[in-house]
Amino acid sequence: MSGYTRLDNSKLARWWWTVDRWTLACIFMLIGLGYVLMLAASPAVAARIGATRDMFIFKQVVFLAIAGSVVLATSLLSPRGVRNLAFIGTVLAIGATAMTLVHGIEIKGARRWIALPMMSVQPSEFLKPCFAVLTAWLLTRRVAGRALPGMIGAFAVYAVILLLLKSQPDIGMLSVITTVLLAQLFIDGLNLMLVGAGAGGMVAAFIGAYAAFPHVRSRVQRFLHPDKGDHYQIDTALQAFGNGGLTGRGPGEGRVKDLLPDAHADFVFAVAGEEFGFILCAIIICIFCFIVVRSLLKLIAEDDPFVIIAATGLVTGFGLQAFVNMGSTLHLIPTKGMTLPFISYGGSSAISVALTLGMLLALTRRRTRPVVRAGAAVYA
Amino acid sequence: MSDPQGRESNGRETVQAAPQGAAAAAFGTDVNVTGGELRQRARLERMHTRLLALSGGFCLIFGAVGVKLALATMLAPMAPAARQIAPQVPPIPKVEHGAALAGDIDIPTVHRATITDRNGQILAISLPLASVYANPQEMIDPAETVDRLASVLPKLNRAEMLARLQSKKQFVYLARGITPDQELRINDLGIPGIYFEPSEKRHYPLGRTATQVMGAVDIDDHGVAGVERAFDRRLTADRTPLRLSLDIRVQAVAREELQAALTNFKGIGACSIVMDVNTGEILAMVSLPDYDANEFGKADPNDRFNRCVTGMYEPGSTFKLQTAAMALQDNVVHVWDRFSSRPIHVGRFTISDMKTDHFAPWLSLPEVLAYSSNPASAHIALDVGAKRQREWLKMMGFLDRVPVELPEAGRPVVPGLSNWGQVAVMTIGFGHGVAESPLAIVRGTAATTNGGFLLKPTVLARPTPPDGLAPAAVQAVSDKIDDKAPDASVQPAIDDTASAAQTGNAGIGNPADAPGAERVISPQNAELLRRLLRLDVTKGTGKTSEVEGYLVGGKTGTAEKVGANGRYLKHLNIAAFTSVFPMNRPRYAVYVMIDSPVATKETHGWTTAAWVAAPVVRQIISRAAPMLGLFPKPPAEAAALDAALAIPLEPSIPSGTRSLGPGNDPGDPGEGASPKPGRARVADTAPRPHLDAKLRHEAAWIPGRTAADSSGAATR
Repeated sequence: MSGYTRLDNSKLARWWWTVDRWTLACIFMLIGLGYVLMLAASPAVAARIGATRDMFIFKQVVFLAIAGSVVLATSLLSPRGVRNLAFIGTVLAIGATAMTLVHGIEIKGARRWIALPMMSVQPSEFLKPCFAVLTAWLLTRRVAGRALPGMIGAFAVYAVILLLLKSQPDIGMLSVITTVLLAQLFIDGLNLMLVGAGAGGMVAAFIGAYAAFPHVRSRVQRFLHPDKGDHYQIDTALQAFGNGGLTGRGPGEGRVKDLLPDAHADFVFAVAGEEFGFILCAIIICIFCFIVVRSLLKLIAEDDPFVIIAATGLVTGFGLQAFVNMGSTLHLIPTKGMTLPFISYGGSSAISVALTLGMLLALTRRRTRPVVRAGAAVYA
Repeated sequence: MSDPQGRESNGRETVQAAPQGAAAAAFGTDVNVTGGELRQRARLERMHTRLLALSGGFCLIFGAVGVKLALATMLAPMAPAARQIAPQVPPIPKVEHGAALAGDIDIPTVHRATITDRNGQILAISLPLASVYANPQEMIDPAETVDRLASVLPKLNRAEMLARLQSKKQFVYLARGITPDQELRINDLGIPGIYFEPSEKRHYPLGRTATQVMGAVDIDDHGVAGVERAFDRRLTADRTPLRLSLDIRVQAVAREELQAALTNFKGIGACSIVMDVNTGEILAMVSLPDYDANEFGKADPNDRFNRCVTGMYEPGSTFKLQTAAMALQDNVVHVWDRFSSRPIHVGRFTISDMKTDHFAPWLSLPEVLAYSSNPASAHIALDVGAKRQREWLKMMGFLDRVPVELPEAGRPVVPGLSNWGQVAVMTIGFGHGVAESPLAIVRGTAATTNGGFLLKPTVLARPTPPDGLAPAAVQAVSDKIDDKAPDASVQPAIDDTASAAQTGNAGIGNPADAPGAERVISPQNAELLRRLLRLDVTKGTGKTSEVEGYLVGGKTGTAEKVGANGRYLKHLNIAAFTSVFPMNRPRYAVYVMIDSPVATKETHGWTTAAWVAAPVVRQIISRAAPMLGLFPKPPAEAAALDAALAIPLEPSIPSGTRSLGPGNDPGDPGEGASPKPGRARVADTAPRPHLDAKLRHEAAWIPGRTAADSSGAATR
């Protein structure tokens, strides 16, 4: 902590004194919990798919180490650096996402991944934070207070993404990106009527997806009618929570987790519930909630619209992802395969979340307040 | 929050709607506020408000997740299914203090049913154990694992364990049959990659007692011998204890007495059977030498050998009882008929009695049995003939394996049809030339005394209330038996099973009701055979088996052993005694056989049944009978019953009857092959009359009427 004095004017020292250390601490707590829960959740899954017991664990150790470095490296960037990174990232991610349609590997009926030597990468994961920052930049490109040209640019990029993700298909990612875009428009000051219209459009799109995609329909049906159909996954998850109770069964003492499909990925929260009980799960919820709400409240003190909108987009995507994962594991919302940031297994997920939080940290660093004139110049 | 100052200032601005002043101070600069800046400020203002709203939204949805979490974990948890949370470590069974009978012990984790004797004493019980295995792929440090396991399992072969743990397999056994205590201690070591598999171990708390009957299970708990194998499916399908017919107290007595005799006479083996003659239930089955049932795998095959059912021995003179029964039942001979005891020379064989026996040249049927004459028995067998002898043995089950549940029951060694010539007829007549299991002999003996029913021997308890459990019931039974005694003394007719059935005594089965019972001997002939068996003990070779007050009846049997060259060994005997008691109302058959006894000073050089086997029967009866609720009759009552059972050694011939004897011996080879015309109707070629038809013209020989009323009986 006291490695740097305030008199130290090096880059690292300035970073240390300006970064949001509370959020940083929360991020590394999540990474730590990710290690612990991977130890609990992955061996049974590894045994089931015939991999060695430690395969998931070793890989995740590497992934989380990379993720930690990415958080730190990205958080050193200036807002301008973040913007440039996001611009490059969006271009690359859109290109890679387009490539999945041609060269992707098909897993469970969707083409979302590109195979690399060590891992498979899901480019749309990186699209999410980069596009959020890009949107913020475009929305703040105002000419004499008129937002229109930037907004048109943002919608154009969104249209491309919509097309790509619908083709994969990846409705979950699409809805997160859409929701993030809506949240950013909302913060940007869009007329509430239009925000409402956007939300209405999303509902209409969901109904359309319900009609168009059989797997969406079956999931919604199963959520609405819990007494019918196959609820093996969700029942097993709830039994895991039930088995855990307040304090859990203890590390390694979980039994239901062995029967839980995707225990290491989408249902890792249920493993936490069984082995560590309500207490640890509540702590995880609090950490996510704390990061999200603290970042949003901190933005109130921020005067740079780009920073506000970009950070809002990043933190909304992050919080939404956590909510969808925990909510569907707890049968609060229909099952939607989405990872729990840092805690679920997965390299793409961990590094894209790291990128998200790194950029968030970079944007929320305390900066020497620009004079209004200088600030106005930024927006000119 | 890190920057309250800014937020406060913004809030104030909202309320006052005054852009200058405080706000300008907050920015720390004095500026000219333009319209664009105002718009800018207003936009920021709206952003901040909406940020608050968004934070509120997130608080809301995370709050909802928290509430649902509380519901799912604590308030309304969904209970996991039992199979999902099946524990790896089984609960340690709790046994009630002082629990002695099988019904009191319920071990929920074991699958194989307990086996008890007829009184509920546990003979075999499965104890919960565990196998510990490992997945070497999950091992972190095999060497350390072996060290730590060795702290719990000191007998572990470290080198082998290390080799197993370093193999490329995914499953290796480390130890099998560890106790729940060891399982818990290994589990507490917390070694990853170590797993447990619940298993169970068969334990035979009584060790050597009834060991061959119990048999064994293999390492996977499948029955491989004895009762364990015979009832394997039943024992795994139904966890209620399997109740055997064995009375383990009687078993222990028989074993102890037999072992003493075996040691004393330095025999190479021995066996003993106690069977209920009215139900076929086997109360004791001893085969020596034996082994600890818990050490089946290490036992010598000779020790595992169940001499009672697998061992095939020439029955010797005990088979003369069958010859007599056959001849009587086929109406070929009568009790007063006499038979030559002169040695018979057939080809290179000579059939004779021992040189020390100085028998009269002609012996009556009671004398033949009491003195056990080989040539006379051969003559009787010849009178019956090969065909009917074979049919009789077939009907009595001597040509097939004994229908007992034990899988070890073997097939007897009998001559083939083509070899069943005159010599075979004669030798089989006195129990040579065939080899039967001791249980077959006991079964045949029982049929001659229980009123004539051939029973299926069983090792399972019949569903009737067990003997000897409630003292009151035992007393009632013995009282009723006692009640019959005065009748017996008054009436010449002795108790028979029919009257026993009429009295409805609990504890005494009616042989006719026993499953698979088959009438093979008429009641009259059965009664006669009982008298003959009693006579053998009172006046014949079986004197040494007599137990005062128990009215033992039996037949000795000394067979010479066949050597490696196929010749009989003159000094190696199979000494056997088959008996039933009490003869006034037969209850139990007791059989003792000692293989190759060596004479002692006490036996004056004899190794015959009378010296070797019959005293063991005496010991067993005197010790075991009270356990079975039978007490010796007072001398006066015993004498009265004996008088009722008595039969003269030389019964008088009824007038008007041409008895077999000198000058009338149709089967005598010395008198030529052609039978006398007068006997033609009973010759081999005559069709064997159906049993029911035979019963009608049965010779009604009753001892009380032997002298006086014999003419009446004969003229019928």
